[in-house]
Amino acid sequence: MTPPPTDKVVPLDELGDLVADGESVAFGGGWFANHPMAAVRQLIRAGRKDIHAITVVGSVDMDLLAAAGVLGHLSFSMVTLEAFGLAPNVRKAIETASVPFTEYTGLGLLIGLEAQGRGMPFLPYRGPFGSDLPARYPEIYATTTCPFTGEELTAVRALQPDVAIVHALRCDAEGNAQWDGTSGPDVDMAKAARRVIVTCEEIVDRSVIAQNPHMTKLPGYYVDAVVEAPFGAHPTSHIPRYSMDAWELMDYAGQAGTDEFGGYVDRIRSESEDDYRARVLTGRDVVLAALVDAAETLEGANL
Amino acid sequence: MTAYDVHELMVTRVAAEVDEDGVTVMGSFTPLAYASYMLAKLTHAPNAYLVGFDAVGMAPIQLSFTGAEAAAYKGAVCRWGMLTEINSIHLSNHGGVEAVSSAQFDGDGAINLSTIGPFDKPKVRLPGGAGAAEVIKMYRKMIAYFGNHNSRTLVDKVEFVTGTRWKVGAEARRKAGLQPGPIIVVTNLAVLVKDEDGEPFRIESVHPGVDPQMVVENTGFALDVPSEVPTTAEPTEQQLELLRNRIDPFGTVKFDFLSGKERLPYLKGILDAEWKRAEARVR
Repeated sequence: MTPPPTDKVVPLDELGDLVADGESVAFGGGWFANHPMAAVRQLIRAGRKDIHAITVVGSVDMDLLAAAGVLGHLSFSMVTLEAFGLAPNVRKAIETASVPFTEYTGLGLLIGLEAQGRGMPFLPYRGPFGSDLPARYPEIYATTTCPFTGEELTAVRALQPDVAIVHALRCDAEGNAQWDGTSGPDVDMAKAARRVIVTCEEIVDRSVIAQNPHMTKLPGYYVDAVVEAPFGAHPTSHIPRYSMDAWELMDYAGQAGTDEFGGYVDRIRSESEDDYRARVLTGRDVVLAALVDAAETLEGANL
Repeated sequence: MTAYDVHELMVTRVAAEVDEDGVTVMGSFTPLAYASYMLAKLTHAPNAYLVGFDAVGMAPIQLSFTGAEAAAYKGAVCRWGMLTEINSIHLSNHGGVEAVSSAQFDGDGAINLSTIGPFDKPKVRLPGGAGAAEVIKMYRKMIAYFGNHNSRTLVDKVEFVTGTRWKVGAEARRKAGLQPGPIIVVTNLAVLVKDEDGEPFRIESVHPGVDPQMVVENTGFALDVPSEVPTTAEPTEQQLELLRNRIDPFGTVKFDFLSGKERLPYLKGILDAEWKRAEARVR
């Protein structure tokens, strides 16, 4: 007889219990795409603090964590609000030296995760020669040589987050997670972390996953918890479901550097994720989905 | 000759460098770079191989702030993730033409996207370089573009080297296992080129109406000024038609060329147009 499938489903309002204060947490997504924002909001609601956040290309996720006082350390290769400017709360945290930080080179950070994911203490690569960053972090970057040719290479130390949190399109109760758009660093963060939380647009039956197994980028044996969070990347995008919410982001960027911003964070703290969706997404959800449909490719002109 | 804005000339000049050799990974939506690649794909380089977000082998797309990512996936032939792209394109020397911009850039081809002021307690904490620290070294051609050519951006030495071209000359690059290729700087005033270590950038061309001396005065690093400096080719009618009507009808490229006060209302205007087009599909 087949044993019943493992059930790792956890409600979103218990997500805060899965992360302890002081732990390192890698957050998936990149740019304004697919950050696990429902999880970010829930960590804020749970009052988590002293979290060492790890991001490859962070945006509103890192800025909101900084604003809410969740961060104890920030490791990143980039944090930006792109068209809406520099990330004001991350800037403030670093410029006032109130949050210690580690600035990785982008490839170095991902190769550090790759090393951990395949059980290596470090990996060599043709690194950021000439950059001032490696010398700042001798505990992360070193110089090594090819044992066969003597070529000088950069060694980057394995990076093991305590937790990785990534947002998928759909996932079953065992944690088999599928993406159809931007997955960015999600899979490699998950492979490197001690524990993995997958939030997803919808939890589906295993048979739905098995219909399109080529879309499963993270198999369930890596995953510890599965959390359903519709619009869980909002206000960043989850393609092909919805585009980034540029209007919410513009609103965010307009307030984020001001003294009144405490109110924005307090409101997120005091409402549930259902309240958040009702407040921000009512009437807007269909337009964010339509923005994906409206996006156009161009037929070759080549006149 | 149709009147044009300098950002349109910059797009056509960057597009002219885009060819069908190698692969280009575009990260986030950077309008000028995206427009240049799309223009090349619609004209002289239809087989230019592009990756946008995790969409590999993407079709040319119409630019928009909210739709560029979705559009990238619509015509793409493959989906990867960041690490696969790094290992399969950047580090394996398949990188073709990389266009970047930065807060500071210097005569060695170094960029600063990290800090103004002390690293540990900066005056301005910049966004960070993402993959640029490694990538500007690996790609065959490095293009750096700046909408405001001045000596605060184009400096003698960057305050902090986030990344650098490292080896510039063809022979030095080959010896280091890198593809040979130049650094090309495209600004609102001129085009600068460097293809040898130990030699300064030279002015390749000035844009119409710009005096070479003005370029020298606004550049913080030494320049080689040839006795005859050609004028940068102006955009053609066909290029302007493609840019304005097909590639960038919302006007996203111009946004990066606006000054402080104009930016937010202009951005709101674009987003309003993007919203209305989408809303019309569901109302």
